[in-house]
This record gives sequence, structure tokens and C-alpha cells, in this order.
Amino acid sequence: MLLRLPRSLHYPITVTSLLKREGDQVERDEPIFWYIYETTVEEGDGLGNKVQVKRKFPTRFESPTDGELSEWKISKGDVITEPIDVVEIEEPCAHEVQFGGLCAECGKDMTEATYNTEIMDSTRAPIQMSHDNTTLTVSEKEAARVEEDAKRRLLASRRLSLVVDLDQTIIHATVDPTVGEWKEDKDNPNYEALRGVRQFQLIDDGPGMHGCWYYIKLRPGLEEFLEKVAVSYELHIYTMGTRAYAQNIADIIDPSRKLFGDRILSRDESGSLTAKNLQRLFPVDTKMVVIIDDRGDVWRWSPNLIKVSPYDFFVGIGDINSSFLPKKQDIGATNKLIKEAKEKEAKEHHSNGKAAKQESESEVSALQQLVTMGGGDNPGLLHEQTNEQEETILHQVEDRPLLQKQKELDAEDAPSVESSESASADESQDSNKHRHHLLEDHDRELFQLQDRLERVHAQFFDEYDKKRSHALGGRVAALRGERTFSKDKDVDLKLVPDIKDIMPLFKQGVLGGVVVVFSGVLPLGTDLQNADISLWAKSFGVVIASKINARTTHLVAGRNRTAKVREATRYPNIKIVTTQWLLDSLVNWQHLDEDPYLLPVHPDDRGEPLSPASRERIDSPWVSSSEELPGTSVWYEDLDDESDSEMFKSTGLNESSHIGYDENEQAAVHDELKEFLGSDDESESDNEALTEDKSTTNKKRKRGKGADGEAVDESAEDDGDDESDPHGSRLSQRIKRSYERSTGLREVATASSSEMGETHPEHVRPSEPDEEPDAENPGTSHIRDVEHESPGDDDDDELEREMLAAFDDEPDDNAEGEDDN
Amino acid sequence: MFFLKEETKTISVHPSNFGPEMRNLIVGQLNAEEEGRCTGDHFVISVMDMVDVGEGRVIPSNGNAEYTIKYRAIIWKPFRGETVDAIVTSVKATGIFTMAGPLSVFIARKNIPSDIKWEPNTVPPQYTDHADQVIERGTSLRLKILGVKPDVMAINAIGTIKEDFLGPL
Repeated sequence: MLLRLPRSLHYPITVTSLLKREGDQVERDEPIFWYIYETTVEEGDGLGNKVQVKRKFPTRFESPTDGELSEWKISKGDVITEPIDVVEIEEPCAHEVQFGGLCAECGKDMTEATYNTEIMDSTRAPIQMSHDNTTLTVSEKEAARVEEDAKRRLLASRRLSLVVDLDQTIIHATVDPTVGEWKEDKDNPNYEALRGVRQFQLIDDGPGMHGCWYYIKLRPGLEEFLEKVAVSYELHIYTMGTRAYAQNIADIIDPSRKLFGDRILSRDESGSLTAKNLQRLFPVDTKMVVIIDDRGDVWRWSPNLIKVSPYDFFVGIGDINSSFLPKKQDIGATNKLIKEAKEKEAKEHHSNGKAAKQESESEVSALQQLVTMGGGDNPGLLHEQTNEQEETILHQVEDRPLLQKQKELDAEDAPSVESSESASADESQDSNKHRHHLLEDHDRELFQLQDRLERVHAQFFDEYDKKRSHALGGRVAALRGERTFSKDKDVDLKLVPDIKDIMPLFKQGVLGGVVVVFSGVLPLGTDLQNADISLWAKSFGVVIASKINARTTHLVAGRNRTAKVREATRYPNIKIVTTQWLLDSLVNWQHLDEDPYLLPVHPDDRGEPLSPASRERIDSPWVSSSEELPGTSVWYEDLDDESDSEMFKSTGLNESSHIGYDENEQAAVHDELKEFLGSDDESESDNEALTEDKSTTNKKRKRGKGADGEAVDESAEDDGDDESDPHGSRLSQRIKRSYERSTGLREVATASSSEMGETHPEHVRPSEPDEEPDAENPGTSHIRDVEHESPGDDDDDELEREMLAAFDDEPDDNAEGEDDN
Repeated sequence: MFFLKEETKTISVHPSNFGPEMRNLIVGQLNAEEEGRCTGDHFVISVMDMVDVGEGRVIPSNGNAEYTIKYRAIIWKPFRGETVDAIVTSVKATGIFTMAGPLSVFIARKNIPSDIKWEPNTVPPQYTDHADQVIERGTSLRLKILGVKPDVMAINAIGTIKEDFLGPL
């Protein structure tokens, strides 16, 4: 360890002697060198007066650590004025792995602190690495080493790491005792659906939950999914449930622990109760990690995340461990159910609709969510959350929401049989089986998910192989002129591609180029760009806009007949689709065909001509909703026409207003330019035609700068034809070019220009009346000046010839440039 | 190391329990409260006998009877350098977690003989020398304690198996 002097010493200090030689053993708190420092002290002079005197004090410096002294960085007599490295001490143990405040390697107490302790030893190993133990911490070095080993192993077996969430991702859990009753009751309409539901009892899981039975529904296809995925991924569980809960679930989904081993992280070890952190499991780098979770916000929309649609089997139960997570913004999660139900029976639609309504009440603004996430680990919050969860569970146990819902469903069934038999023919045939069952099991997510994970895996290793064969090929070819490719043997960690690059790239392409406007999807007052659905969509390359305009490609409407729907019908290119289209596209990683999702537009809304009255009616609601986000126009990379005109207004101009100067001004500016740029200007004119980029937005900037009267700016104004060609971007380009140029031409040109500087500005124009038609081409006139006014300058003869040669080409170029306008 | 230690403890008995079975009740309560307790310094393994139960005193405010009991208990205080037998609870790349009775002992990779290597690809993962020594979850180990650190309600210890006669049993 390199010892650095502490800040607390009284600098400057002078080293008077070194007590240890290189190679000596040093004990902790043993003095290793003497030094003296100077300070002012108050002393009595023997007459009762107190005097301030400067005194020198000798002091010993004590080693804060023990080990073998390997090298002195200072020598006797050195004056040290600031904290520097003084000595290198080779420690017998670097305390890289610590367990419960002890160094796991040497058994020393790491929490010991003395007067001499600068840095606690326990800070040397700050990283918690193991899944199931928080008392073990390691240093960064050790963590990197362990992780590197793991990566090597994974690469050799061509696998990645997959962090799996439990609740609502691969299982759905409830504590509603109704499930237990239904499970036993063969006559219950939900009996079939509940067949695969597993259960376990947690004896002491938190206060107030003694002996609570948990009912676990595995997501359809889970076993197969895990088995298949385990081939290409090493699986980790990361859940916000308790340790006991996680263990029990793991026992159910992986009884032999072949898949997960003991790589299970629960909220007991998570370290944060509100957010999940990949660094907890992979402290050094997350290049090879993929996450699947139904909540994007808890991962802060990490690029490693594949968000899955939440599995909602027990209708209206949600995530039983969600009280530990930030409040959920629920958008359309239940819509899917609604859609399925719609095809089946209108009754179920109704009950689900209610569920959706209930959940939407729990929607919370993004700000509040941030506050919750930032809440950290304060005990008050923990207490509150524990209480909340307890309440949730008690609520489920006592109120039995499922039973209530089924009752509701049954109650609605009774009259519906009489009234409409046509609704479902097969149902009315058998009145026993007629009772609608609440619980449906249609979920197909895992099958798609498996496919996606395999795609990511393939992509990753394609990239890796490509890089590696490239590197190998390059190196070997350079050495031997032939190419060898040894698979999986020599793993090169430097070539590992980053999943954080691969996956977003993959996803960005899915809905790239889609510009979406929401209507009736997010509640008013939600931050449009940071809502869950927006963040999710954005990770797939979608651009979220607040207003409908020509760029919009899709209007995602949560409701029909909104003002925006009406607005959108006027653009033939905008597809008006339901929220489901977006959700399904995001879930499937595909730009799905919009046709099945098209929103049936009410005939009244279509192509409505905008009378002033109707316009007002239309405008008022959606203007208010879109104006709430003034910053959203930033989302357009390049400004469209609309914003252009706004800009003009802000500068007091309109698009057709005259930009530039009148002739007098121009002449003056012209001369100033000559002074400034000299004949260099001539060579510029070649570029002129090329540099006339269209960028109307620059008009304004140019105008503003020109008004400042800066010679630099005006020079640019002048050399062009202001009225017809108001493109100011040339200004910066030209100046830059003129500075970049380092040919001899420029130096010579400046010499001649200094001569010209003496020419009186007013003088220029009268002296060259024939220039008048050429007024728009000051570069030309400029050259002629040179010719006329310094004909006898022998030194410049060469230059002039060059200039003339260039000049001959010029008029053509310029003409072209102007034609372009 | 195990000790027979004499300690005192105050136990209060609710009035509803006053009666002939009181002594048994007190014994039961004492056992329930003391056995298995970790003071941070030692573990109470078992209460041997009560030396003196003392006289019960009724507390005026709530009517509970308070007994001050002197008892002898077997305690275990782990020491540095002590050799114990332990059961492996989990193995990690960084080392082995074991439980020696109530004491959790961690064996770092450095304190495992170098011929016993980390083998993560087996199910369950293990440390093995690819011969007769296999350390996985559930294996019995003999280890030597390198350091002990008392915590509030627990004791953490560091162990080694990198010495003669230590390792899997």
C-alpha cells in the first residue's frame, strides 16, 4: 500500500530522520520517521506578558498499517508542503474479502479504529457480491477477478446471464384463500383453470402474516421456457419478495436447483427496497447480462432489460410484493384481457373493465414515483412499506377479491341467460357449465420471450465470433499468413460485445421511424416523455410527439372520438390504432400490421371540415393537453416548418421579409470585408456554390449577428448576395476554412491586402463603375481591385496569375450557386 | 470452547399462571428464553439446572410475579484457533459458507488448499480436488477458526481448512 500523508498534518514539515530502512517490518502505529513542524505558540516572557513565538516541534509519524516497508518516497531533509506519498508498505493481507467485519483471509478485525486511522479497513471491500449473503463483501479487485472468471466460464459454454423477476413475470401469486377453496371444489367454474396452481405456507413471514398460504400460478409454458433458456443463459432470480418466499418459489419452479442453483436474490439482500440494481449482482460490468421483468421503472429502464407484459392470472390481484416497489403506472395491462374477453363474452368484459378501473386509480405521477424511488432505505419507509404489504395481504385474505368478482360475474350471468341466448349458443346448452369462470389462462408471453432471448443470444455471439475471428484472423494472418479459428478455447474478454449496445440496436430497429401521438392513453398531467409506456416505446425507436402534424405516423388512441382522433383523420398517412397495437408491437418486438388494430373512427369524426365554431370546439381540449409540455418540440431533431415560422415571429420577421442590407450598407460592408479577408476571398468563392446549404433556420442567426456590426460576420454577409441568398451557414464555414487554410497563397494574399487596406472605402465603387452588374459578386470585384490597384507589384505576379486562373472559373460556379436558389 | 456458567435471570409470571405448576412453568419459560440465545459473546447451548429460584415478588402495578433465578447453563464461546466441525451451507466463487452449530463461519478461497478448486459447472457447484475431496452444500468440514467478531445478536467467524487434518470429513 502506498502511504499518503494525511491532510491533518501541520504543513510544511521537514523530515529529520527515517527510522526504518527498506525491507524492515513495520507494525501498525509504529513510528517510521521523525519530522519537525513550525507553529506559533503563546509563551510567557517571565514578566507576566504573553508573547507569540514561533517554535519548531519534532514529531513522529506513525504507520497506519503494518507490513514490510518496500520503498521510501522521501529522504532525510525533505521539506514537504502538501500531502504526498511517503512510503510504500507491502501488506501481508490486502483485506480484499471481508466477512461480517473480519478480513476473511487473515481474520483481522476490520472495524477497529484508532487515533491514527485515516481510512477504515472495512472500506476496502465495499462490494456485496454473493446473492444470499450480505455479510460478505469484497474489494473491487476481487469482484473484478470473480466476475472475469465467471465471464470466461460463460463464454466458454456460450451462455449469457439472465436475471429473472418472479412476480408477474414468470409466476403470479396470491394469498386469497378463495383460490384454495376453488381448487378443492370440483364444481367451481374456475376448477379447471386452477389445476396447475401450487401452494405453500410461510410460517413467519413478517408480522401479521403468520401461516399464510400462498397460491402460485406458473406462467404457461414456464417449465419448458426455463429449460430451454437455461441452455443459453445462466439464470438468476431477483425478486422483491422475502428470502423465504423466493426459496419456496424456487422450490416449485426448480425443485432440483439445476437451473437457478443458489443464485437467488431477495429483498432481504437487495440493499434497496425500492429499486433493483444490476450492480448488486454484477458490480463490475453488465455486458453479458439480460434482465426480464414486468416492471421497467424499478430497473430505471436499464438497456439490459427486456420488459415483459405482466402476467395477471388472478384477476385484480396484481403483484403481492409490489408495495416495496414504486407505484405502478398501469396502462392497458388489462386491456389485453378486455380484448380477449370481448370475443368471448360481454359479461367478462364488464368485470375486467372494473378491474382496470380499480387499477387506474393507483396511477401515480412520475414525480411521486421518483420521490418513492429516491426514498432509499430509511426505516420509516420500510416500516410503512411493510405495513402496506401486510395490509394488502390482509385485504386479500379477508376481502377475497376473487370471490367477489366471481359473485359479480355470476350475478350478471343470471339475467343474461334469459335475455340473450343468442350471445353464446354453446353456453346456453349446458346450464351447469354455464357459469362464467373468472380465471383465464391464455398467456403466450413466455413463448415469445423465449424466442426473443434466443435472438438476443444469437446476435450477441454472432457479434462476438465476428470480432474474434476478425482479431484472430488479423493477428494470425499478420504472423503466419494463414487463418486459424479455435472455437471456445482461447476466450478473449476484450472482444466481448456489450449487450447494452446490441439489444437497444436490435430494438431500435423494430419501430424506428414511428412517430406516435397519444390520445386518451395517459391521464392529463402525466409527463408525456417519461411515462412508462413512452419510455418503453422509446427504447424501441418510437418518437413520442405531443401534437399531430405531418410527421406523425400513428395516433395511439385509448378512447374513441377524442379531439386528436378527429384531427388525425385529416392526415391520410396517420394510422389511428388502439393502445393494444403499440403494446403488442412492443411485446412481440415487431412492427405489427396495424389493420387488425385500427380504431373504428366514428363517421361524424371523419374528415370533418373545420368551421370556426367546430375548430374552437376541437382545439380547446387538446391544445390544453398538449400545451402542458412546452419542451416537447425538442424531440424533433430538425425543426419543421411550423417551428420555423414561430421563430420568425419571435424575431419580428416573417418568412418573406427582406433579410440583408440595402446597397449602401452592402458597399460599406464589402469594403470592410476586403480589409479583413483580403484577396483570400477570391479562393473562397469556389467553395461558395458548394457551401450554400439550405438551412432556413439560420436566417435568424445570421440576421442577429450581422446587426452587431462585427467585421467578421459582415464579411460573410458581404461576400455573398444577400437578398437572393440568405444562407448564413456559410459564414462560419468560410471563416473556418479560411483559418484552416495553410497554403502559401494566403500569406501572400494578406500582404497584398494590407496594401489595399489603404484604399478608401468610398473609393472602391466609383473607381469601378463597370462593376455595377457584378455587385452581387464581390469576390470578383475584389480581384479586379487587386489587378487595378497593384499592377506593379512584382512579388505578387505569380499570385495574380493563380488568382486569375481561379477567377476564370468563378463566374460559372457562382451562377450555378445562384441557380440553385 | 464450552463452559458451564452460572447466570441470573429475572422472569415474570402472569397471575393467571399462579398455582401448583408454577415451577414447571418457570423452567419452561427459562428454557424457551435462554437456550439458543446468542449474547454476541457466546451462545447459550443448554440450561443445566436452576441453582436458586428465589422468592417471587408481586409487582404492584400489574400483578405479575417476578422471580430472580440463578441457573447454570452450558455456553459455547468460539475462540480463535479453535477447531470445530461445520456443515457447508453454500459455496461461492469467493469461498465457502458453513455453520458450526449456531456459528456461521466463512472460509475464504485463500484459506482453502490450492489443490481444491472452484468448480461452478457442476450441479450443485462445488470445490473439489477432482479426487476424493468434494465440498458442496451439505458437506461436513473440519475447520480452524481464524477470527471471531461479535455482532449485536450474532457472531461471525472466519475459518481455514488449509492445514493438516482439516477439510471434508
